[in-house]
Amino acid sequence: MSTLDSIQPPKINIDKGTRHPINQTKDYLIKLLTDTGFKEVHGPEIETEEFNFDMLNIKKSHPARQMHDTFYVEGKEGVLRTHTSPVQIRSMLKTTPPLAFTSAGKVYRKDDDSTHLPMFHQVEGIYVDENVNFANLKDLIHKILHNLFGNDVEIRFRPSYFPFTEPSAEVDILSDSGKWLEILGCGIVNPIVLENCKIDSNKYSGLAFGLGVERIAMLKYGVNDIREFYKSNLDFLAQFK
Amino acid sequence: MKLLYQDLLRFLNEKPSKEVLSDKLFQLGHEHEIHGDIFDMELTPNRGDCLSLIGLARDLNVFFGTSDTIDIYKDNIENLDIDFENLATEDCSKISFLEIEVKKISTDYRPYLENYFSTLGNNKTNFFTDISNYISYELGQPTHCFNRDSINSKFLLENKELNSIFKTLLGTEISLEGKNCVFSMNNEVISLAGVMGGATTACNFDTRSVLVECAYFNPESIIGKSVKYNLTSDAAHKFERGVDIEAQDKVLRRFIKIVQDHAVIESIKIKSFIAKEYQDISIPINVAKINNILGTQLNESKYLSYIEKLGFETSSTIKVPSYRSDIKTQNDLAEEIARVIGYDNIASTPINLERKINNSKTDKVTLIESLLVANGFSEVINFPFTSIKEKSSIAIDNPLDSNRESFRISIKESLISNLLYNERRQKDSIKLFEISDIYTKSPDLEQKKVLGIIISGRLANDHINFSKKLDQKYLDQLLNENLDNEYFKVIEIPRSNLNTKKKDRIFYVEVALDDIPELFFSSLDETVNKPVNFVKYIPTSEFPSSARDFSFSITNLSKVKEVIEILENTSDSIIKDSFLFDFYKDTNKNLVKIGYRFIFQSHKKTLSDTEVNKKLEQILSPILKLDGVIIPGL
Repeated sequence: MSTLDSIQPPKINIDKGTRHPINQTKDYLIKLLTDTGFKEVHGPEIETEEFNFDMLNIKKSHPARQMHDTFYVEGKEGVLRTHTSPVQIRSMLKTTPPLAFTSAGKVYRKDDDSTHLPMFHQVEGIYVDENVNFANLKDLIHKILHNLFGNDVEIRFRPSYFPFTEPSAEVDILSDSGKWLEILGCGIVNPIVLENCKIDSNKYSGLAFGLGVERIAMLKYGVNDIREFYKSNLDFLAQFK
Repeated sequence: MKLLYQDLLRFLNEKPSKEVLSDKLFQLGHEHEIHGDIFDMELTPNRGDCLSLIGLARDLNVFFGTSDTIDIYKDNIENLDIDFENLATEDCSKISFLEIEVKKISTDYRPYLENYFSTLGNNKTNFFTDISNYISYELGQPTHCFNRDSINSKFLLENKELNSIFKTLLGTEISLEGKNCVFSMNNEVISLAGVMGGATTACNFDTRSVLVECAYFNPESIIGKSVKYNLTSDAAHKFERGVDIEAQDKVLRRFIKIVQDHAVIESIKIKSFIAKEYQDISIPINVAKINNILGTQLNESKYLSYIEKLGFETSSTIKVPSYRSDIKTQNDLAEEIARVIGYDNIASTPINLERKINNSKTDKVTLIESLLVANGFSEVINFPFTSIKEKSSIAIDNPLDSNRESFRISIKESLISNLLYNERRQKDSIKLFEISDIYTKSPDLEQKKVLGIIISGRLANDHINFSKKLDQKYLDQLLNENLDNEYFKVIEIPRSNLNTKKKDRIFYVEVALDDIPELFFSSLDETVNKPVNFVKYIPTSEFPSSARDFSFSITNLSKVKEVIEILENTSDSIIKDSFLFDFYKDTNKNLVKIGYRFIFQSHKKTLSDTEVNKKLEQILSPILKLDGVIIPGL
């Protein structure tokens, strides 16, 4: 026979909040890379043209430097970094090879439509040592993508163009629907970039790669609209506990 | 760039199927989509040399062979006496002019020319401009046709400061500003060099005499002009990516040949202005270096055979063709070889990075995130742009719009906006935080990592806290309790300036992480740094939700547990949330009262009362059949 005294109120489960899915994805990638041997480094979001462009062999004539593609600040005193690569430059200038750095963070492009945002996140990696080659790059990229999408994922490398790598490649994975999806850009560090960082390009070579965090998060979580991440909608965020 | 499959085949020795051609184009790095017989190419910006039929054929030579079958005018051409001066030799080191006069033009174009318009959907303009456009498609070199009669005095190519109106040949008026490379005559701009000609010197249907300009413009002199003036220009697209500086004679002779195919030529004259001769680029032969870059084991003869098929001349060195302005180093050549071999055919070789043991303490960001997430806070990320301009704000020179002219110097406005957004979505217990780098000038650029926290509404959705409100005390207890000072300064944000009818008070904290004492962090655990679980996301509904509260009165105390279990195990596609918000033991009446809330929401539509009530009946019916369980007033 139940009595009032014997009846206990239900236990309260403290409702946990959630970390942002972009930061969760970013941290996952950083952990994957630091576990592989990369050291995480950080840098500013407001950069100089020198570090964001010049040191990376992005010439004055490159379209990316135009006012319609890059945010300039304070009368062109600086730029909102368009990629996390300047962090690698700053880090390379402070050390000597062998080196392996990864950096992650917000980057900015002057874009704002249904598929492009003026701010998004990148994770990059660079490895410089003697005899680093394209075959090494392929192996590393395969390992990263196998970790993210499983060992059976079909991977395709395509020639591409980035001023800071040569050869350059873009990498696709084959989706369940049979479509190739672009996942990341990578390449052999352009010797000009190494020399800009006071690294002897006759002795050392490097590989580099960069991933869009939103792209990975969209694929892994199944989010179709990139803008969802930035609405700060609690119903949306609650799904990523 | 759109090209017709059959047009490209004309330049290839082998005639691959569309599928085989497509595979090889991808292997070479030339992305495209195929629509019927049309290949819509999207080329990388370093491959301006491939923006033509002949350019792509040169690249495909390694697989299918190609031969230069382009029919050009081969006879001697009389020298043109023209009153022109190049004052912009840094922008244009080589420019040629062809004067051509015809007396009769065929109304029918030959198939190769006709197809360019009829199959690719290009618009015909006039005879000479049509040929100019076709030649750009075939050879990749833009040319511009001036109506010869309109060039009646000395004209110049100059790069100068301008502040004038220019009417393009399409009739658009643009305001030229700043430095521009232009053709001018009598101190008036007659053409925006490398981008678009002007209305006053344009050809028309009746034009029988033209001056065809064919130039090499430095990409840096052209870049950005078409975007700046909102002009769609195939010429600018090509000059920005680099054209073949040595192609002018061939291009103009091809121009003559096409004219000859369609008209009776009265006279042709030509003149070139060369400010600086093109210097060949040579790169040492070093197959070992190529293998080092790629991780391959190619022998020299194979290497050289690939290189030659790509159009490079080999002797004691490798001579780079004039159209390959992107090739300067061994790494550039390595990429050429990798493209020919196929990136996917280069075997992977493992590297062994030295794994470093991470002994570093968990960082401040992770510790704070753990604390807040464990206490029900959700993290948001906001764009840093704002219309609020403070003295220390970093100004964006080229903002997306006037509402985003500055970099924010505080997270507060972003979090208030996030809070109001969620209130409008019927959220009544809101706890948000953001950690972001903030930049200010004072006057030098300063960067600090800042935490912002905002709260409002119910303390929690449970029977203890449902009727309590989030307040200053809550934040103080969470953040300041064990500290010797109020490092986290909690402020109330008045609703008077906010566009909201809600009454719940809003409290806010903002603090730089470096200003928080170590003592605070030493008491925290990293509790949420668990492996990321990539759950599959279900799109949130944009339809309104509907909340229904019920108060159960249970006199048969043995049924209390069962009622709670039924309620908590209830789920349905239209039940968005449910929770017990009241539990009361009435000792006088010896009964238990339970308050329970269901929140309904559909992903497909706005739910009607009838639909909600029907679902509620299904939920409540088994409960109300229990002995001693009623909902008073129902």
